[in-house]
Amino acid sequence: MGRTWSSMHDFEVFLHGGGMVEVDDDMPDEYRAAVFRFIELHANSELMGGLTERDWIPRTPGLRHKMAVLAKTQDEIGHGHLLYMVAADLGVKTRQEMLEDLFAGHSRFHNVFHYPARTWGDQVAICLLVDGAAVPSQKSVYKDCSYGPYKRILKRIIAEEGFHLRLGEERALRIAQGTDTQRAMFQQSIDDWWWPALRLFGPDSKPDDRLARWRLKSEKNEVMRAGWVQKFVPMLHSYGFTVPDPGLTHDPETDVWTCGPIDWGPLKKTMAMDGPDTARRIAEASAAWETTRWVRDALDAAPAGAVT
Amino acid sequence: MHTYEVFLKRDGQEEYRHAGSINAPNDELALLLARENYLRRAEADLLWMVDRAHLLVGDRDFVAPNSDKPHRDNDGLLVAAHRKSQRGGM
Repeated sequence: MGRTWSSMHDFEVFLHGGGMVEVDDDMPDEYRAAVFRFIELHANSELMGGLTERDWIPRTPGLRHKMAVLAKTQDEIGHGHLLYMVAADLGVKTRQEMLEDLFAGHSRFHNVFHYPARTWGDQVAICLLVDGAAVPSQKSVYKDCSYGPYKRILKRIIAEEGFHLRLGEERALRIAQGTDTQRAMFQQSIDDWWWPALRLFGPDSKPDDRLARWRLKSEKNEVMRAGWVQKFVPMLHSYGFTVPDPGLTHDPETDVWTCGPIDWGPLKKTMAMDGPDTARRIAEASAAWETTRWVRDALDAAPAGAVT
Repeated sequence: MHTYEVFLKRDGQEEYRHAGSINAPNDELALLLARENYLRRAEADLLWMVDRAHLLVGDRDFVAPNSDKPHRDNDGLLVAAHRKSQRGGM
């Protein structure tokens, strides 16, 4: 069937030469496990993010933006659907097992989905700062991804996340041009979401990062983080907002903004499933799964075979 | 539940391309789910789907013999070398 490698060394030589791994290849167990964990984390995060979007469908102001949030919710749930499919094909866990682990708090999702979105300003900040961090992260995975099925699915996911980011940029501009109350609300949201979004990139990459060697990442975390700071600090300043980083510095020679010391404590707490909104989020996701059980039951009962 | 493979094609362009896969209980719902997941923003004009269980697969071992048939190709090197020597001689 698939290709096989006699040792991890041979496999890494293959990867180093630009080789692409396909689902039926006899890949080393460590690589299979690492790819699976990576995609499962991504799939869980899309599902958790999509459920937050869903919460905001009735509360989003204006028909045009309400429809955009509907589309974004469908996109995110769709991304989860496609990613669970790619993850399940690796044969480590079934989709059912992945969902059960998620609802039991046994598997992870990204740190930004462990916080509550309290106001419309929070939704705008998430759409700008979190999607603004997700797009470069996903692009860096896509760029040189060694696992073919993930790379192909990422291509369409990135295209759709691009729509979300442009939506966030438009919302931010509109809220910046809003009333004093709206501006004050958004400033509070920037204060609350700046650091969680920045921590999404993770701590500085280790010199011998296994995921980089196996071509699941092609950019160092600190480089992507610096690019994000450089993009959003001037944008928010130009709108008259402040960034909640007392250690933020600006080099007038190069016009480069650099963030101050980063507290990784909150990231560790979310990774330990102990974030400010973790328990409620998981309970909500689990409840959504239960209340939609009748749909799955109806699908299972639907007649198989061709359309008549 | 069945797993379907999804193929997309644009009118007048390229061939059908594999886009990914999807789970569905029957053909009707498979088409609907594929449209709502893979064709959200007019990514293609035509859609093919096939139940993974019905895919006819020629695996690498089956295909391999044809990667070693040099007599089916001609690299043109002999003629190219001759032409080059002719030009060099003028």
